[in-house]
Amino acid sequence: MTAPTTAFLPTLVRRERASLLAALIAPPVALAVATALNLALYVLMGRDPVAVVHAMLLEPFLSWASFSEVLLKAGPLLLIAQGLAIGFRAKVFNIGAEGQFILGAIFASSIPVWFPQATGQWIWPLMLLLGAIGGALWASITAFWRVRLNASEILVSLMLSLVATQLLNYLLLGPWKDPAGFNFPQSVMFQYDAMVPMLFAGTRVNVSLILTIVLSLAAWVFMQKSFTGYKLQVGGLAPRAAGYAGFSEGRAIWLSLLIGGFAAGLAGAAEVAGPLGQLQRSISTGYGYAAIIVAYLGGLHPLGIIASAMVMAVLYIGGDNAMVSANLPIAAVRVFQGSLLLAYLVAVAFVRYRLEWPRAAHRSPS
Amino acid sequence: MMNHLTRRTLMKGLAATGLAGTLGSRLALAADEPLGITLVLPSPVGDVGWGHALAAGLEPVKAAYGDKVKVTVLENIQEGPDADRIMNKTVADGNKFLIAGSFGYQNGALQIARRDPSVTVLHASGFQVAPNFSPFAAKYFQGTYLLGMAAAALSKTGKLGSVSAFAIPELITSVNAFTLGAQAVNPDIEVSVVWVNSWFDPAKEQEAAKALIAQKCDVIFSNAQDTPSVIAACEEAGVYAFNLNSSMKKYAPKTYLGCVATDWSPFFKASVDAHLAGTFKGANTFLGVADKVVEVVDWNPDIPADTMTKIKELEAKIADGSFSPFTGPIAKADGSEGVAGGATLTDAEIVAMDWHVKGVASPLPK
Repeated sequence: MTAPTTAFLPTLVRRERASLLAALIAPPVALAVATALNLALYVLMGRDPVAVVHAMLLEPFLSWASFSEVLLKAGPLLLIAQGLAIGFRAKVFNIGAEGQFILGAIFASSIPVWFPQATGQWIWPLMLLLGAIGGALWASITAFWRVRLNASEILVSLMLSLVATQLLNYLLLGPWKDPAGFNFPQSVMFQYDAMVPMLFAGTRVNVSLILTIVLSLAAWVFMQKSFTGYKLQVGGLAPRAAGYAGFSEGRAIWLSLLIGGFAAGLAGAAEVAGPLGQLQRSISTGYGYAAIIVAYLGGLHPLGIIASAMVMAVLYIGGDNAMVSANLPIAAVRVFQGSLLLAYLVAVAFVRYRLEWPRAAHRSPS
Repeated sequence: MMNHLTRRTLMKGLAATGLAGTLGSRLALAADEPLGITLVLPSPVGDVGWGHALAAGLEPVKAAYGDKVKVTVLENIQEGPDADRIMNKTVADGNKFLIAGSFGYQNGALQIARRDPSVTVLHASGFQVAPNFSPFAAKYFQGTYLLGMAAAALSKTGKLGSVSAFAIPELITSVNAFTLGAQAVNPDIEVSVVWVNSWFDPAKEQEAAKALIAQKCDVIFSNAQDTPSVIAACEEAGVYAFNLNSSMKKYAPKTYLGCVATDWSPFFKASVDAHLAGTFKGANTFLGVADKVVEVVDWNPDIPADTMTKIKELEAKIADGSFSPFTGPIAKADGSEGVAGGATLTDAEIVAMDWHVKGVASPLPK
């Protein structure tokens, strides 16, 4: 049956049924494999693997100051990933969370930029709300073209992220530039009331973390318990069946993208009104893209995503630590993230498929 | 609960003894413990450019102090919350001397200086000063004036160009002085500027250089670009080019006009000396030819001998303080008076310069 050139290669055969256990252990196995591969890489680079492991995987937990930074980093990843996962389960691939994040940051910054003197505890909640709306509006462009022209939402949302970056550049180099900032592309520093209140004194973790956790639970309720969530999942798993059942595909696309944009926009707003306190060009270090890894690593399940966001945040913080104290280049952290996603995709493939070796194939009658 | 409490108390106890132990040993070892110096950079150190010049400036410090100092260079650190955390981490690790190598690190680095008076911070290109926080910048304009003279002598089209990073005073002054130097040789010369809004973007810089060459500019000034792409593109097109910070002659053996090189070692060495002696005093530090920080090197042999003689005369006058490029009368690009006849801009006026001189054809981004 098999062609002669590939006779010595095993083939992938779909499993009759994927076991729950395999699905559950796939992420930890992927994490272990990626860790082992990267440690080998660090040894090849001549770094002390013990020092790297200590700095990267232990130090984030060894002090409250370090762990609070993990929480701070996990916030936007968690929020964006929850929003994206809802769409991914409906097979709507919003790859442009980065752009929606930037628009959220821009919308939120409009208040402190236009009203730098305003005071009152209404400012930061309004900024968060505006940010979420901004993100959703940006995502709605993608939804519109996808529903109207059947344009690929992957490409449209990804390209719109580049447009969002340019919009941010335009604002920071032009109308929103800090008049006292010596022409540097950044806005004014936000006033006190435009900053999300701190959750733990002495750290940079703010109230938006609570909001993120509440929204994670809401995502769980929505996807596992609500009829709308069910319709979305059916649309993703069996689009035809969903069609026969009268579930509108267009509505699923709109809902998926709006939710994803809302969450990413909120994350962007929380970032400028949180640790940044200013709109600047480097507001995102690729949260929108990293959140895609987080969503898949968490099995697209709201509770799994909480765990994977923490893992990813530890990798970020640990990677920075390793750079500072174990002399590891920053690119090594990105290699780690990439290999983690790769290992996970391979692991998931083996949950659904098994390898069949040619010898077995020969035995079968042909 | 009980268990939890006991554990927590135990941890506290351990932490307290650990702290006491560290403090004790620290006091005892204070004299022997090396001074931790950390340099944080937004771009890779590479072989050339800004980051390379800063890192090279620490070499003589290392040589002078031997194992009494421990130098860490952290490259590729994006400005923003991550940079803040990384700088906090390196200071928390016990490094007491921080060199923040980009304007965008200002807020985070200043917070560190305010929190911990035992830390000394040197900050590139900023304007904030604190008792233990010194902004530093180079008087590039002294060198670009001289190269402007050489450029005008070599130019056939009477059009010069500059690929520039950000429209901040430091770089505006370097373009202005370049223009004034060129006008000293050829009063009708014109300078076009492309602001690429990046310190490090090889593709964009190359594109900008090619655009300027297409507009008949035949000498190009790579203004604070950290990559050799402009220089390399000019060699390819047979157009003279020069840059700041460190020599890129090897990328353009034929058409390399020269380099406004910066040697930060006298400044770094003096600052480390002062830190160790406990006499460091934060001040706005603006260093030039007279301080041996700025020097033009690798002059191209094509420069006519009579021009070269004039250049060398002026160089000596700049060094002894009898000549400043910004001595009036100087007209602004819009025709109004910039500097009155006979008047000379003070350092404070130069570091706040936000206008182009007449002869710069491109408007400043507003």
